[in-house]
Amino acid sequence: MKKVLMKGNEALAEGALIAGCRGFFGYPITPSSEIAEYMARKLPKIGGAFIQAESELAAINMIYGGSSTGTRVMTASSGPGISLKQEGISFISEAELPCLIVNVSRGGPGLGGIQPSQADYFQATRGGGHGDYRIIVLAPSSSQEMMDLAILAFELADKYRTPVMIMAEGTLGNLMEPVIVREAVTEFLDKPWATTGCVGRKPNVINTLHLSQEELEGRNRHLTEKYKMISKNEKRAESFLLDDAEIVVVAFGLLARIIKKSVMEARKKGVKAGLIRPVTLWPFPDEHIQAVSRTARTILSVEINMGQMVEDIRLAAGGKIPVEFYGRIGFTPNPEEITRQLLFIAEREGLL
Amino acid sequence: MGKIAVFAGGLGSGKSELAINFALEEAKRAAGVVLADLDMVNPFFASREVGQVLERAGVKLFGPGGDLSFGDVPSIPAEIIALIQQENYLFIDLGGDEVGSLVMGYLSRFIKRWEEMEVFLVLNPYRPFSSELAGVSKVKQLIELAARVRITGIISNPNLVEETNLKTIIEGHRQVQEFADFLQLPVKFLCVEERFWDQLLPRYGSILKKLTLHLRPTWLQDT
Repeated sequence: MKKVLMKGNEALAEGALIAGCRGFFGYPITPSSEIAEYMARKLPKIGGAFIQAESELAAINMIYGGSSTGTRVMTASSGPGISLKQEGISFISEAELPCLIVNVSRGGPGLGGIQPSQADYFQATRGGGHGDYRIIVLAPSSSQEMMDLAILAFELADKYRTPVMIMAEGTLGNLMEPVIVREAVTEFLDKPWATTGCVGRKPNVINTLHLSQEELEGRNRHLTEKYKMISKNEKRAESFLLDDAEIVVVAFGLLARIIKKSVMEARKKGVKAGLIRPVTLWPFPDEHIQAVSRTARTILSVEINMGQMVEDIRLAAGGKIPVEFYGRIGFTPNPEEITRQLLFIAEREGLL
Repeated sequence: MGKIAVFAGGLGSGKSELAINFALEEAKRAAGVVLADLDMVNPFFASREVGQVLERAGVKLFGPGGDLSFGDVPSIPAEIIALIQQENYLFIDLGGDEVGSLVMGYLSRFIKRWEEMEVFLVLNPYRPFSSELAGVSKVKQLIELAARVRITGIISNPNLVEETNLKTIIEGHRQVQEFADFLQLPVKFLCVEERFWDQLLPRYGSILKKLTLHLRPTWLQDT
């Protein structure tokens, strides 16, 4: 099998091309820029459109327009840029336009720094824009998953007519790993709603203005039903050594791989540790949390932020099990640091 | 090897790891070894991350310092202009692609020791855009234009990081040799991790160079 050594950002971009993405609109920002650079090199050669927009606002509205034509389109940015795109994401969600939005995250708030971060969890899963909407959020943990989840993202986006976000730490975007390049996607859903020219049919109109009370409530009820369906069908998580686990760590992204090392090390020292890695951050894989709430002693959420996903874990656990938090920002915890934390909890709980 | 060695190449070709290794090796033999980290393209996995290792070995590290080491603004220390004209062993680690080589274009006017300078194009044929001659040939041309120096040799760095095996190296190096022949450039070194050294030495002899990875997180194995 032929493998290519790719940065996470490159693997994601190639994955998007494999999925048939033919429009990239964006504005560069560290640590996401390699996605735009890759697309700039490749898209024009395969009949696609690459536009470096004048701003993030312009880019996200180009996504609105591009997606309206039925074309698979994407944008990529990092925290500050994603903040600027929020208005557009709200509009795109209401217009039910499929697209991929990538956040290769850096540390905030404000300008923050360009160190890897997971501090945009709330922004991604709650939505930073206005109104009642949800977007699917996927969190890859390797270069291979950057590619595979990009392909999945376009599939889910089309299936549910919704924006899908991929959120990855800056380190994952820039880390090189061998990747198996997938086969090009050849089957696509019909998009009878797209504005493709209305010869022989009534015009399709895509807008988000609903002045009548009934219409507005109807639209919101429709979207809510859709989000319920996504929630029912699309939760994804990876379980690691959970069968006899007494301390369960929950972590996502590249960080989850660091923690796998910690879990293995802790086990060597007699701590029955396990790991849940949410792959979808929304919908949050709450059944996985509920299952361990019945069997484990404590849950530890490890995040590269000051405590965000821990709220979803507590909601899922419903008070049945203590949920603790360990977080860093500016630094990615190393495996030894988390192993120490696991040993500390095990000792405190009398599990050693 | 000349007294100034420049490491240029595509994004992620292995320039920083090589520059670190070459500088550390030189420091065993000579005093006054300087590693200049001029990667202004991307601060992730840059040679400035291993400053302490270098200092301990007697290699002076030059690069964006303090808060700027993780800066999002292109900056290089002004002292580099003096360094490039002094009697020392200078290893220059450039950023990726032609944008990364632009800084060399600026510095080239200060070079006095042309005859002592080697400019390496680092090639890993397993990287996107480096698996075909057209891509390699283009990156070489663009780097030379941006850096305003001629590439004098190629360093072959065929690897798939943790998944590298002997076959990866042998087939990859064959590919690099083909590119080199076409570009009419000598392959000066073939770099491999220590674990492959013994088996490959009879095959490749003096061009084989041992690498210790300094920028690669160790926890990537088995996860």
